[in-house]
Amino acid sequence: MNEDMNRKTRNFILNCLALAALVAFLLWAPGNLDRYKLRIINLIAINAILGLSLNLIYGMTGMFSLGHAGFMAIGAYVSSLLILTAEQKTSMWILEPIAPWLLNLHAPFLVSLIAAGLAAAFFGWLIALPVLRLGGDYLGIATLGFAEILRILIVNLTPLTNGSLGLKGIPAHTDIWMSYGCLVAVLIFMIRLMNGNFGNVLRAVRDDEIAARTMGIDTFRTRVLAFTIGSFGGGLGGALMGNLITAIDPKMFMIAQTYSLLMIVVVGGLGSITGSVIGSVLITTMLEWLRIVEDPITIGSLHIPGIPGMRMVIFSMLLIAVIIFRREGIMGTREFSWDWFFPKKTKQRPISERPVSDTKGADAG
Amino acid sequence: MRKVLLAAMVCLLAAGGAFAADDVIKIGFYNCLTGQNAFGGQLELEGTQLALAEIPEVLGKKIELVVVDNKSDKVESANAVTRLIERDKVSAIIGTYGSSLAMAGGEVAEAAKIPVMGTSCTNPLVTLNKRYYFRACFIDPFQGAGGATYAVKTLGFKKAALLVDVANDYSVGLNNFFKQAFVKLGGEIVSEMRYNSGDQDFTAQLTEIISKKPDMVFLPAYFAEGAIVLKQARELGATFRFMGGDAMDNPEVVTLGGEAVEGFLHTTFAYDPSMKDMNPVAQKFTESWKAAYPDKDPNVNAALGYDAYILLIDAIRRAGSADPEKIRDALEQTKDVPTVTGLTTMNATHDAEKELGIVEIRGGKKQFIGIVTPEA
Repeated sequence: MNEDMNRKTRNFILNCLALAALVAFLLWAPGNLDRYKLRIINLIAINAILGLSLNLIYGMTGMFSLGHAGFMAIGAYVSSLLILTAEQKTSMWILEPIAPWLLNLHAPFLVSLIAAGLAAAFFGWLIALPVLRLGGDYLGIATLGFAEILRILIVNLTPLTNGSLGLKGIPAHTDIWMSYGCLVAVLIFMIRLMNGNFGNVLRAVRDDEIAARTMGIDTFRTRVLAFTIGSFGGGLGGALMGNLITAIDPKMFMIAQTYSLLMIVVVGGLGSITGSVIGSVLITTMLEWLRIVEDPITIGSLHIPGIPGMRMVIFSMLLIAVIIFRREGIMGTREFSWDWFFPKKTKQRPISERPVSDTKGADAG
Repeated sequence: MRKVLLAAMVCLLAAGGAFAADDVIKIGFYNCLTGQNAFGGQLELEGTQLALAEIPEVLGKKIELVVVDNKSDKVESANAVTRLIERDKVSAIIGTYGSSLAMAGGEVAEAAKIPVMGTSCTNPLVTLNKRYYFRACFIDPFQGAGGATYAVKTLGFKKAALLVDVANDYSVGLNNFFKQAFVKLGGEIVSEMRYNSGDQDFTAQLTEIISKKPDMVFLPAYFAEGAIVLKQARELGATFRFMGGDAMDNPEVVTLGGEAVEGFLHTTFAYDPSMKDMNPVAQKFTESWKAAYPDKDPNVNAALGYDAYILLIDAIRRAGSADPEKIRDALEQTKDVPTVTGLTTMNATHDAEKELGIVEIRGGKKQFIGIVTPEA
């Protein structure tokens, strides 16, 4: 018991240190890194938020959902429509005039972020009610259909969304403080969620729905709740993305967007919070770093001209390698824990029995 | 062993980067070299590279073209421009095909105060309120008005139907400008039908249009869908003429559409290999293209890639320096610069003012009909 207390205090201190290190890094980064690196660092946080929210739906609750691009679209549009000025809106809607009630709707950025998340969560909840009665691949197809329907609605609802012309000139509010602030909030929420009873319920529903139901769990309600929370994350991530790129259009939210998130989740490890963060770091940086294989290379007298698309070839090969040699992803369902760095003094409970509870707050760094 | 190899590679790459000297002016090039718009981006790159081979130096300094792919994706597009500016420290940038990609990239360049010369991004929003974005192409309002002028004044068409790709910003925009001009010139729009990029079956829309008996159909499509529309219209027995925009200026239209594209008209830049009285720049471009790529014809994308480079070099020469701010000021002063697509002047909104050409497909070949001056 005393041992356990010591461990908790130690972990708490270490978590605080990790958080302080993150803050120090964020203070240091803007003055010392160029905008290119900052942009990548920013993208990592956004992708991590999106990956985590998809992981909650797919990895932790076992619902194969392909609708995340749709939630991102809702978030991005809601947030942008709220922060664009009336003047900007009038100059952009060149095909049909903007809906009058929308013209003067205005909110500060933080409010728009929350509104984006809530709007996405509402739609998530709405489609969860009919769709979550399906399971497995059928759910995947239904959510994919939802995302496509939403995209087509955005294309055709010109008075609301400016159709396929999209929105531009969105103020670039997403700096690293904003995105990492959101990421830390999402992480703390996720860790607390998964360590609490609700996390156990989610895992029970994922692993054996019938057994869970026998235990008295309302599995449908649980899945709807997880799906709604996941879509909130999707909306939040989409809003941050829109404010980073500063221009959005329906083509951004095609199925390829969902696939790239799925890649982050699967490579990182289905059901692992740490995994999604690692997956996001790896995939976001790899995609940019691999650009060097497309540059022309001169080795001595040998000149190799750059081949566009080469990095995608190599990237795909790396992915295939991960799938073949580590099918469960980099982390599997395990989580990062400070215990990794300390030798075990006493005989502890086997970690496999309580895989998540040892890791409270440990991801903050 | 693997680690050693990797380390060696990294060293080599680092060494390669270290050779860059002061007597080099770096120009960035970002475009869709892969992804769904790769056909356009590739042609533009080839055009720019051709111009680079002809003018490899300016102000006594060698020009280095840094090419980056944007995968036809907005996030990648913004990344690509940031990379060019921060890592490669370019003085100016050329790109890109696709207006939405140009908007994503443009925001980054605007913040970093680096001038960009757009190739074929024809949507008015690209340069709207931008200090640093220019383009070598005209914009869609001009093109739409030109198409309408030609249809009403020269061909005497009164009734037009529209078939627009609602998922495509280019199509929606151009369609809108054509419609406005056509109505202004006294024409009537009898039907407006919609489809989505990637659709394969247009018979429902075409049957509806045929029943309205228009004189012509305006089809602001990309060539892939456009060619299928023309084919299916012919199969349904449509006799009216079709007219498209510059995105239909692609050799693939004839390959995909076969006999069905006979008589198809489209507006485009004042350049086509079939032109009779080409300006000297266009002649030179056509010759060097034929020498470099004997198995394919040049098109407007290639010409615009070439022109974008010429306009940029001209500005650097007049600026007398590779300072981005000075290049920007010089670009703004661009006046009557001879390019492949005619004399080019930058107007107040940073859009190139140049002539608009009309092309018709006759006997399976593109024929340059002439220049049209928009009246609406």
